[in-house]
Amino acid sequence: MLYTIPPMGILKYVLFLFVFLSADCFARPVSYPGGYTFMFKSNSLRDTAYLHYSSTSRNAVGVEAVSDKVSNDDYVYLRYTRLLFRKNHQKSQGNLYLNTGISNDGFDNYFYGIEGDWETRRIFTGFGYKRTETDRIDIDEKYFLAGVAPYIGDYGDLHTWLMVKFKENSYAKTSSLYPVVKLFKGNTLMEFGYSDSSNWDIHLMYRF
Amino acid sequence: MKYSFLALIFIVSFNDVHVYANEDTHVHTEMSDGSSIKVDQARFITFSEGLKQSKILVVSVKGMVCDFCARGIEKTFKRDPDLLKIDVDLNFGKVLMAYKATAKIDEDSIAMKIRDNGQEVVKIDTLQ
Repeated sequence: MLYTIPPMGILKYVLFLFVFLSADCFARPVSYPGGYTFMFKSNSLRDTAYLHYSSTSRNAVGVEAVSDKVSNDDYVYLRYTRLLFRKNHQKSQGNLYLNTGISNDGFDNYFYGIEGDWETRRIFTGFGYKRTETDRIDIDEKYFLAGVAPYIGDYGDLHTWLMVKFKENSYAKTSSLYPVVKLFKGNTLMEFGYSDSSNWDIHLMYRF
Repeated sequence: MKYSFLALIFIVSFNDVHVYANEDTHVHTEMSDGSSIKVDQARFITFSEGLKQSKILVVSVKGMVCDFCARGIEKTFKRDPDLLKIDVDLNFGKVLMAYKATAKIDEDSIAMKIRDNGQEVVKIDTLQ
């Protein structure tokens, strides 16, 4: 018996096979093993609430509720995030993550993307690419982020990052460069960015 | 709006400012084998207060640059009933741990737990 895979969906099958079946080369966390994380994000394309569980040190599975501002639709993603690579140095760390998700609307509604960062206690740089495919529209998003910590806080202090973010997406066909401030203390993180073209870019996170 | 937001960023950022990472505050604590470990003096004294009947470990860790990421280390080790106290020194890349004097210290297990959190152990020193 022959099984057929729709050409448009082949990438997602390859991607999911890769992330679920690849060997556990590095024991690295997404959060810490057994940890839960709640995130809220809001930008010009969507508002999302995401709860994930880090089953091991480099895998996180979760559920993300999405309020899509492009399609005016609400749906839910079953998400999987994998830490692909981490490099530790005495004064710096670099990470590379793979993000995937499939919507409850079916296999034709999914996303995949990659995010990377490199940081010291003073400097942060990051980038990301995300492709969202639905039966109505496909959207590519990418960003670059760079920032500095104006002071070096101790463990448990309020930590602050002043950053600049460059972002563009294929739906709006615009790019924007805007300031972002990231604050975190203990288990709580808040990130706020604003641009005239894409308005607020908000990210809140709490780790349990 | 953009300029107001930028102004807000700077006001928030420079509030509650602490200056750390002063390398002059370190001390080389002498070990029984003649070696020494570089730790923050004030931090180490504060940490070790009232811990005479315990084993203090100084774990040198690579890649521990972010407070938010290091939280997992604290949470993981706090599950151990033999652990009395833990502190993370981001400036010197050290995790200070105090165990009950009767606790059996498994350095491999400690290194593995920190590796599982995403960092790497360089060295573990034990002060009896």
